[in-house]
Amino acid sequence: MNGHINYICKRIEILNPIHSKKLKKNIEFFDDRYDELADAFFKKYLRILQLENKTLDYAIDCYLQMLADVTNETVEFLRTGKYTSTTFEEVNNRVYASPGIMEYYMHGLLMSQFLFKHHYQTLNFFINTLPYYVNTTKSYLEVGVGHGLYLSKALDILDNKTTFTVVDISETSLRFAKHFINDNRVEYNLRDIFDFNNDEKYDFITLGEVLEHVEDPLGLLLKLNDLLSDDGVLFFTTPTNAPAIDHIYLFNNVEEIRDIVRSAGFQIASEMSFLSEDVSVEKAEKYKIAVLYEAFLKKAET
Amino acid sequence: MDKSEILEKVNSIFIDILDNENIVLSNETTANDVEDWDSLNHIQLVVAIEKQFKIRFTSKEIQSWSNVGEVVNSVSLKLN
Repeated sequence: MNGHINYICKRIEILNPIHSKKLKKNIEFFDDRYDELADAFFKKYLRILQLENKTLDYAIDCYLQMLADVTNETVEFLRTGKYTSTTFEEVNNRVYASPGIMEYYMHGLLMSQFLFKHHYQTLNFFINTLPYYVNTTKSYLEVGVGHGLYLSKALDILDNKTTFTVVDISETSLRFAKHFINDNRVEYNLRDIFDFNNDEKYDFITLGEVLEHVEDPLGLLLKLNDLLSDDGVLFFTTPTNAPAIDHIYLFNNVEEIRDIVRSAGFQIASEMSFLSEDVSVEKAEKYKIAVLYEAFLKKAET
Repeated sequence: MDKSEILEKVNSIFIDILDNENIVLSNETTANDVEDWDSLNHIQLVVAIEKQFKIRFTSKEIQSWSNVGEVVNSVSLKLN
């Protein structure tokens, strides 16, 4: 096992024994590729933490804080069947415009990419599929860049001459991504995507876990359809039944996601669904357990 | 309701949610003693216990229990 992962597991065993059980199962599941990716990631991530005078223990605390938030939100979700916030204004005040919360949230989410099985599987699918689009991608746009991990992989995989553009509404998120990426090929825009219009069309757009953060996911997909070149590809991920402090749009099942995608004028080129827990599909539906859905989309033929 | 009755009912909830007839809880039982008491089931247990006793736990309570006795105490404080 990777040395950093080993350290994280031991520390979480002490700080959160209940979560530690799940973490151990996740680690057992991971393949050899995981060791390679996790090793490269933690080397880079630790350098960033050091530059900010922070330690891996700090990142572990952020991760556990994020998990505590998810636990609280999940309990409330099971009580009511709804997410606790439903408007963008609520979550903007509660999360995006609150640097203290964004800080631990970004670190927590970044750590989860290599500690949650379904987050790792989703990243892996992206890394495995993106190379098929290298030849057709001259311009790349990422909306809601978050911590920047997906963008960092796109920078590694896509052609050197590709242009990279990022749009995000959170200043903390952009600062975090810039730090993580450290690559001058990227143009960053602190903007609401609905206000973003530079008359350009993009060959590849990434929208990682954003749809559940907006009031009108169909409107967002229509906007991206407009920003996409005729033969362009939109990669997106979004979960069903996944309560979090900044999730406002609830997808009850994967079919609801597919419906909205088709309504926005897309067709599905390839797709995957990953369960967030080691349970049967039946149990997942009964207990409303999150499923992370991802797909590569093309414009529907008219 | 006294604490032994609460413990008995909590025990039945664990059997039901974790689908394991052999679970015998005591106040000292921790997550390490019950194989399937993981983070997912913890949330299901919290919600089932709330439903059974018609109570609501605070976020602080949900995060702070280290053994079954503390769960029983939280329930007892809310009922009495």
